[in-house]
Amino acid sequence: MPMLQIKDLGKNFAGIQALKDVSLSVEPNSITAFIGPNGAGKTTLFNMITGVYPPSTGEILLEGKSLLGCKPDEISRRGIARTFQNIRLFSKMTVFENVLVGCHNQLKTNVLTAVLGLPFTKKEENIAEKEAYKLLQFVGLAESLNEEAGNLSYGNQRKLEIARALATKPRILLLDEPAAGMNPRETRELTDLILKIRDEFKLTLILIEHDMKLVMKLSEHIIVLDHGEKIAEGNSHDIQNNPKVIEAYLGTGAVAK
Amino acid sequence: MWAAAGLVLAVLLPFAASQGDSYESFMDVSTMVGIYVCMALGLNIVVGMAGLLDLGFVAFFAIGAYTYAIFATPQANNFLHFMDFPLSGNTFWLFILIGGLVASLFGVLLGIPVLRVKGDYLAIVTLGFGEIIRIVFNNMDKPINITNGALGLSSITPPTLFGIQLLNASQFYYVVLVVALLVLFIIRKLEASKVGRSWRAVRENEIAAQAMGINLFKTKLTAFAVGALFSGMMGVIFASKQTFIDPTSFTMLESITILVMVVLGGMGSVPGVILGAAVVTILNLQVLTEVSNWLTDLSVNGGIAIPDVLSPSKMQRFIFGLLLILFALYKPKGLIQEKNRIVDPKKFTEAGENAHASN
Amino acid sequence: MLENILRTLPQVLFDGITLGTVYAVIALGYTMVYGILKLINFAHGEIFMTGAFIGTAILLAFSSLGWIGTLPIIILVLVAMFLTAGVTGAIGVGIERIAYRPLRKAPKLIALISAIGISFLLQDLVRFTTEFANDGNFYLIGPELFKSNINVPLSKMASFLSDASFKTSFLFVLVTAVALMIILDVFVNKTKWGMAMRAVAQDRDTAALMGVNVNKTISLTFFIGSALGGATGVLFAVQYGTIDPYIGFILGLKAFTAAVLGGIGNIRGAVLGGLIIGVVEMFAAANLSTLTNHVIGAEYKDVFAFIILILVLLFKPEGLLGKALHEKV
Repeated sequence: MPMLQIKDLGKNFAGIQALKDVSLSVEPNSITAFIGPNGAGKTTLFNMITGVYPPSTGEILLEGKSLLGCKPDEISRRGIARTFQNIRLFSKMTVFENVLVGCHNQLKTNVLTAVLGLPFTKKEENIAEKEAYKLLQFVGLAESLNEEAGNLSYGNQRKLEIARALATKPRILLLDEPAAGMNPRETRELTDLILKIRDEFKLTLILIEHDMKLVMKLSEHIIVLDHGEKIAEGNSHDIQNNPKVIEAYLGTGAVAK
Repeated sequence: MWAAAGLVLAVLLPFAASQGDSYESFMDVSTMVGIYVCMALGLNIVVGMAGLLDLGFVAFFAIGAYTYAIFATPQANNFLHFMDFPLSGNTFWLFILIGGLVASLFGVLLGIPVLRVKGDYLAIVTLGFGEIIRIVFNNMDKPINITNGALGLSSITPPTLFGIQLLNASQFYYVVLVVALLVLFIIRKLEASKVGRSWRAVRENEIAAQAMGINLFKTKLTAFAVGALFSGMMGVIFASKQTFIDPTSFTMLESITILVMVVLGGMGSVPGVILGAAVVTILNLQVLTEVSNWLTDLSVNGGIAIPDVLSPSKMQRFIFGLLLILFALYKPKGLIQEKNRIVDPKKFTEAGENAHASN
Repeated sequence: MLENILRTLPQVLFDGITLGTVYAVIALGYTMVYGILKLINFAHGEIFMTGAFIGTAILLAFSSLGWIGTLPIIILVLVAMFLTAGVTGAIGVGIERIAYRPLRKAPKLIALISAIGISFLLQDLVRFTTEFANDGNFYLIGPELFKSNINVPLSKMASFLSDASFKTSFLFVLVTAVALMIILDVFVNKTKWGMAMRAVAQDRDTAALMGVNVNKTISLTFFIGSALGGATGVLFAVQYGTIDPYIGFILGLKAFTAAVLGGIGNIRGAVLGGLIIGVVEMFAAANLSTLTNHVIGAEYKDVFAFIILILVLLFKPEGLLGKALHEKV
């Protein structure tokens, strides 16, 4: 069974068709990339998968079960985590606390048990702290655990977002332009990190990315969107030679008839 | 260590002060400081930690105060006939909890419709709620006389402890001190737990918090309920201390005063808010009155005519308004900035584990 | 019971529409500023109140000069309104400059705190000045300008109606308020400056790239909103006589409700919302006691605006004439 299945998904914003009849499926433990020019509807697709916007038409299935009507927090609990194109950290909190918030799905503490300081509260908090620290080590931020998240460098903020998303123990991780604003060295590190994530966490990864080198290197499956529609899909070789894709990127007439 | 020093100071200071009239008035101000500290700590959860601007916070204080006052005076006889009111001062201790819970319930009832919508409107809705509660208390003397309307409730039974009625400020001071320590304990526990982290995550970025599995509505509602709980508890103490309450004690000016305490002290910062509450209460109850009296003396004795309009005790709105603007513009983090919890990474490394185990 | 309600309905409508037009013009100020800055300008109710005081002071000055009775009253009131609008407009621009502009990039919470601070400051400044100039009284009673009442003999037209009456100032308030709203609507929709305002409201950065001077446009919005608010204050003072420094708060709350009800950011919506709130309030004041069998009375009329606000936020947060907005993620 596919990990994620999208059927005839559409989205209208006050009369503007941001996404139209998109269908696709994503295999477990694979790396898939959504590519396409700006405004193609990639982030809108992410937002619908994570429940930020309700779809106008169509359906989204996680391991065969519909996600329709789920709020973003429910979807997070059901195993889909994400990062954001325009980084959204808890910027006044420490790096460590950011990741701890990601662990909240596993904590059962509530107001009463927190005040009473019940043993299980302390225990689960300790477990979460250890886990958060491990994740920070994993992405290479253990040194900065007490720093304010907003003070990290751009590249490190992106890494922290990934660590925080991993802390929710997702089965699918959505990365929205993870390499944006990174220099070539950072991008190479990121590439390795993404592969490491897939292998160590047994995750299904979907990413939106404009850096084609990174996309071609990582992705087993590429889906191309343009003007809200899926215009092509396949492996990197198929996509690179698809005239429709070249046209979408370079404009009409770019392909010799 | 600071906390311990503060505690010693709080317990001993009353003994150090001289006895007599000035002692009582000193203790009265100290008691009010304690009451406002707790309320400011409650509002700090809502505004400082969860980032929700509540401009009608005094409503919960009023609800707590009326909850006790109605049953601790003959007032309840007007609508309840199965027992005789007023209740004895022994019930006061239970009422601290009841008053808090009733206020908390109203917090939830207000929060359910309001916290679902985007945050901008919250300020105006809570402002309205504060006014409405006052209007309702002002008019609930008919058809059944529940609150005694604008006349207020007087001769509220003071608390009884081991058969002794607590009547003067120095006795109330210790009641407030104990409750304040309890409130502080609860807040410290919450702050360091999942609950406090969720509040701050929601404040920092709602969309990211939601993507981490945090239920925005529930988290905000919890902040609202806990804040209202503290405010309601202090309302009960206030009513029993004053032995008289009427709707004029619960105006918007009060709500804004508490907000000033939080903003001045430092939103989200527990020590800051305690400082802010102490500074503003002392300013309000002591400094302004004393300067006003001094000016009156001056114009009576010194022959310098200072018109009554200049009296600083009337200038609260001006002073508080100015403080809010100045702090928003130049010191938005307040006097004592909110600090993040620092963790020792050794705790997670092998060496730290062993050290921990051998201890 | 129904008969009674019907009988007094025309009077309720007269009173409700008068009050509603006042709410409507104040709501315009809230809606314009919210539209452009996404900030609830708490001080707007206070601008209205300040306008009422300035206008009354001017009219009292006219009165002491002996102009009232010799010069046409309508001209005098219009002059007072014009002067007041200029002053409150300038105050509005000043407030934006000092208390809001430095916080444009700060968290919304901080800007709101600054706004509530301004509101308190203005209340006390007006109280202070009035007490200073008025023998320690913080309220002000304006000169009586429109003495006559107009009776509408409705009972002759239909036996089930009572006669209604209104002060002649009602007509003046209504006509002036409607004129202000029409001028504003034309200004915003038909002029270059209006277009700049709409552009900044929609997307500040893009508007700046297109050569719109964003700061100037925001200042202009504050000037117009505050000038309108101040002028309405004068109308209010003329219609209702006594004013105090605290009228702006609850009136502002209701006007804001009107703006939300109509659809915040929408000028025509604000007008519609104002009228609805005004009529509902007057209807409640007149009939609440009858409807509930004397259980709750007219004292609760102020509660209605608040209940409407909560209901709108719950069921139609975009308001009657507004468009639903999506937050960009």
